Amino acid sequence: MSGDLLVIDRVIKRFGGLKAVGGDAGLSFSVPRGAFLGLIGPNGAGKSTTFNLISGVLKPDSGSVTLDGHNLSLAGAAKIASYGLGRTFQTPRAFPSLTVLENVTVGCDNRGETIASVALGRWRSAERELREKAREVLDRVGLSDRVDDSVGNLSGGELRMLEVARQLVRDPRILLLDEPTAGVDPTLQTKLSKILVDLHAEGCTLVVVEHNLHFLMQIADSIVVLQNGELLSQGSPQAIKSDEKVIAAYLGSEHAT
Amino acid sequence: MSQILLSILTFGCLFSVLTLSLNLQYARGGMINFGIVAYFAAGAYAYAIFTQEPPKGLDQYLFGFGAPWWVGFLAAAVASMLFAIITGWPTLRLRGEYLALTTFAFAEMLHSVLLNERRIGNGSVGLSNIERPEIGWMGIPEGYVYAGAAIILMLGTALVFRRLLASPYGRAVDAVRDDETAAQAIGKDVARLRFQVFVISAVPIGLAGALYAMITTLVSPDLFTAEVTFFVWMALVLGGERTILGVVLGTLALVGFQEIVRAIPYESVRTAQLAKSVEVMLTGVIFILVLRWQPFEALGRRSKKA
Ligand SMILES: Nc1ncnc2c1ncn2[C@@H]1O[C@H](COP(=O)(O)OP(=O)(O)OP(=O)(O)O)[C@@H](O)[C@H]1O
Ligand SMILES: [Mg+2]
Repeated sequence: MSGDLLVIDRVIKRFGGLKAVGGDAGLSFSVPRGAFLGLIGPNGAGKSTTFNLISGVLKPDSGSVTLDGHNLSLAGAAKIASYGLGRTFQTPRAFPSLTVLENVTVGCDNRGETIASVALGRWRSAERELREKAREVLDRVGLSDRVDDSVGNLSGGELRMLEVARQLVRDPRILLLDEPTAGVDPTLQTKLSKILVDLHAEGCTLVVVEHNLHFLMQIADSIVVLQNGELLSQGSPQAIKSDEKVIAAYLGSEHAT
Repeated sequence: MSQILLSILTFGCLFSVLTLSLNLQYARGGMINFGIVAYFAAGAYAYAIFTQEPPKGLDQYLFGFGAPWWVGFLAAAVASMLFAIITGWPTLRLRGEYLALTTFAFAEMLHSVLLNERRIGNGSVGLSNIERPEIGWMGIPEGYVYAGAAIILMLGTALVFRRLLASPYGRAVDAVRDDETAAQAIGKDVARLRFQVFVISAVPIGLAGALYAMITTLVSPDLFTAEVTFFVWMALVLGGERTILGVVLGTLALVGFQEIVRAIPYESVRTAQLAKSVEVMLTGVIFILVLRWQPFEALGRRSKKA
């Protein structure tokens, strides 16, 4: 059970002629099984686009993405999710016509989602377990008293945690989080950091995009730095903090150690 | 008077089946179907073809199987389902107004095929040898039996849809309509769900078509024009999406209004023409009032809470 879980190989994505990811040679990096990878870089570096390319929201113009031996360039976003990949979006996405609890239970795969299971009424017992699990997850992310609320009543930070909860309930093998602390208060950030550390300890592979380096550097075990869609540097948090190129391009001098 | 009430009830419930199906496709599935009449026509014609006698004399149609009424109903369900599969498969990837246009185009195509291809249904003349089972059932007059059948079909449709939507399946359908990208990120097969909703909701429409053919004992192309589609959309807007009771009340109200206006006797052609214009204007005014206050939707909401 070792080796690379996710391999990004010479991936290039252009938007109307402008290179968003990959430059000329293409972007390549890999995520070992069980890694906790931080993905950082200046605004517009291509971090979110990279997530979109991995999760199938976007297809690369060239190059390939491989998840545990599955070639993702042939799969749709839903298929990729079913391989055990979870992701959140930089702008939180909730389902407005579902309650907070339903926004989480909907994350669980397809047990009751075939016509046959509805016709036979087979989903009820699985659904009870699922609700239990969803409540636990909501409790973990600090939303236990909002269970029956409409998502329209949630704040920006709460929506972000809701999206995390929806992914957690699915028990992903690899989870991509796009700026999970943006707009989240310090108490909740501490909670989130603990959740991620626990999740990692349970064997989930994590890739986290963050501008909050204080948060990220404490929990990630390696960092990939992007700039203009290309790999600028890669290494341990300590090595990255003292990397001249990274300091010049992104960190600024006060982060240097 | 009781005659008019009976026909409001019968056709109100019958068209409610169409509105309920449209509600499932649009309010829950997020799909705009502007060709709903085609699935209705497919059911009606299938019922006619399967139950009528083989052609003779001046008949130009090719097929008549003389089958009993329930075979006709089965054929109607299958026909509208097949038509939904054929029309849904290539189009459901389309968004909003594109889907509206293609479904409209498919319905127009079916209409012109029925009009011009005489071997299916005698062209513009239509089919009139439709099986109407002997149903002076237990001494109950025929009209009441048909009203009962329409009510049963409507209730059955409402119950099945409700059961479907109150399950995790319905939750997934809602998620897909709310946000496709986020739904895919949790593994929802958007194309499969949309296609299934589209095909499932076509089945009751086909059955309603069969019942319609059975009651009127006549199917012809001019009964199945785009007017039927717009009528159902109007009923849906009147009733307000999302609540089943609202949808049914909206349809009953619209059918009731039409039947009452039609029942008024006129002394001359001129007054009939005048009345027709007044009807159109009144429809518009009522429409605006209902949209402003949404009484049926409110009623439906209240009953849902209770
Ligand atoms: N759908 C799109 N169409 C056109 N250009 C896009 C699109 N998505 C991203 N881009 C461009 O691609 C580049 C990379 O964007 P991306 O969102 O991946 O950056 P990022 O690293 O996530 O930045 P941030 O830290 O601000 O979130 C940017 O220049 C952006 O303008
Ligand atoms: Mg971003």
